Amino acid sequence: MSASYEQEITLEGDLHARPAGALAVAAGRFTAVIRVTAGGHTADAKSVLGVMGLGATSGQHLTVKASGPDAREAVAALIAILGEATKVGG
Amino acid sequence: MSPATVGIVLVSHSAELARGAAQLAEQVSGGTVTVIAAGGTDDGDLGTSAAKVSHGLSRADQGAGVVVLPDLGSAVLVVKAVLEDHGDASSVVLADAPFVEGAVAATVTAAAGGDVKAVAAAAEEARHVRKL
Repeated sequence: MSASYEQEITLEGDLHARPAGALAVAAGRFTAVIRVTAGGHTADAKSVLGVMGLGATSGQHLTVKASGPDAREAVAALIAILGEATKVGG
Repeated sequence: MSPATVGIVLVSHSAELARGAAQLAEQVSGGTVTVIAAGGTDDGDLGTSAAKVSHGLSRADQGAGVVVLPDLGSAVLVVKAVLEDHGDASSVVLADAPFVEGAVAATVTAAAGGDVKAVAAAAEEARHVRKL
């Protein structure tokens, strides 16, 4: 059984194309299944179009949930990217 | 992660459209993937050019293969004709995908280290992702 991890972050900026791209590129390097949820919608973190389709905006809570062998590292990495990438806007 | 990433060739009837889509895909994916715009005819008119596609395939191939995205149906004919003459056809995949969304999804997957199959699949899945 591989572990599952999740963590929430409050976005400091809108999740525009570039931060969504950075998130999906990073997510694609993990083997874990990774989902991001915001505003009641969930997307595959490895799908840049899915992440952009969430339309997540500044102030919204976004949850990153991963399951698989590298789930813990994946959640930590993506939360860090979200904190950094949405700060400056896309 | 393999050292080389899959290259992308965007074949459009319009040089500006191909260039714009390439720029967008490069920016969204962080600029680590070779994205080649092959748009317009050799004279710069609207249309497609076998020479531009062929040149684009050579420039895009960094050793991990190439995924080609055509904008409209008739660009497919030109790409297929070029691929018939292309040396290593197994390393080049023609993706059936929406042009802009497919270019962005393919480039992001290439940046993450996906192989030609994964990159083409990402482009083709773009058809099913809703914007609203």
